[in-house]
Amino acid sequence: MHHFRAAAFLVLVLLTSALPLRAAAPPAQIDLKQFQQGTQIDNVIVPVPAEIFLVLDKIGTPNWKAEMRDADLKIGERHQIALLLGTVIADGFVAVEATDREKVKNIGRDVLKLAGAIGVRDSVLGRSNSIIEKADKGDWLNVKRELDGALQDVRNAMSELNDDQLAHLVSLGGWLRGTEVLTSVLNKSYSKDGSDLLHQPQLLAYFNAQIKAMPPELRKTSLIVQVRRRLLEISPLIDESEISKQSVDKVHTITSDLVKSILQKDS
Amino acid sequence: MKKFVYFLIVCLTLIVPALATVDDAISAAMEAADPYVKQGFIVREDQWGGDLGAGEKKGFQHTLFKGNDYWFFMATDTLKAKVNVHIYNAEGKLADQESLQKGSYAAIRFRPPSTGSYYLIVEVEKSPEERTHWALVYAYK
Repeated sequence: MHHFRAAAFLVLVLLTSALPLRAAAPPAQIDLKQFQQGTQIDNVIVPVPAEIFLVLDKIGTPNWKAEMRDADLKIGERHQIALLLGTVIADGFVAVEATDREKVKNIGRDVLKLAGAIGVRDSVLGRSNSIIEKADKGDWLNVKRELDGALQDVRNAMSELNDDQLAHLVSLGGWLRGTEVLTSVLNKSYSKDGSDLLHQPQLLAYFNAQIKAMPPELRKTSLIVQVRRRLLEISPLIDESEISKQSVDKVHTITSDLVKSILQKDS
Repeated sequence: MKKFVYFLIVCLTLIVPALATVDDAISAAMEAADPYVKQGFIVREDQWGGDLGAGEKKGFQHTLFKGNDYWFFMATDTLKAKVNVHIYNAEGKLADQESLQKGSYAAIRFRPPSTGSYYLIVEVEKSPEERTHWALVYAYK
């Protein structure tokens, strides 16, 4: 009888301790509309270019060195700098893929220079130094993390300065340059799996919504007008179930044009 | 003097949980993600967080890429609170592939069947606090 009681007690203890590990079954189907109202714009996670580049590495052998660019950074208005900063950070991810130490180090310095021009130098000083130091050691994994961190630190610093619109432009700049590189790789070696990576209509809708919500004095600058118009051209091209080589080529032309425009000073 | 020190300790014990912040929840989420770094996962430096009441949910739209392997970690620093994270596809269908819940965090693994938009739904299932700080981080490889 004692043995039975002891066994029953043991079973009870085991059940009690096991129960908290069982997660309650989540609903199999939910109405997404409840999460899409009001705060939809704020609740979007923007991926970093490294996530896309990682897939490209898995499905092919891109020539990353050929995707690097030598950009002559021209510093103009704050919105242009924000977009430019995003493209430069994306360049950093490309240079990491190419394992080009000098390029990554230069990009670390460029990030600092652009952050300084926009008034958030202190927020990325540590990251910039770390990018340079880790690139010197060839610690590519941590360079990626530092670039990601620099992106977030700059955005957070801008938000603290009530410059949320500029923070969004940094993300958009990164997306544009990342997409330019993605489509360049796909143009050289088209595959259905590769082109599937462009299937990001909701993310594009998010960027469009961000621009639409900007104050008129910012939204009506020639650069932002151009960016918005060209983004609307991209939307139908990447909302296809199978994205054709022609569509990839068109998206590449548009993103290349925009990245070039961002390099110019805007009036 | 001893009484005063004892009083101070009691006060601190009561105050510290009340001072818990999103930063503590972020630390808890990063800690949960840490073992996966050894498996080759890269943890994003970005984090998402806030506070929720018990039973309250929040949704995040996220573009995920076919070919990548993702882990999402939601954590809280509130003792005895239970949090959940689940992933749904663009049609609102549950898409979790592997999930776990340990103490103050919950996690799901997801390998997207196709590139596109997915929804991460985070929830504070139960908590002794009125509002519970939480954080979400993710890793990919």
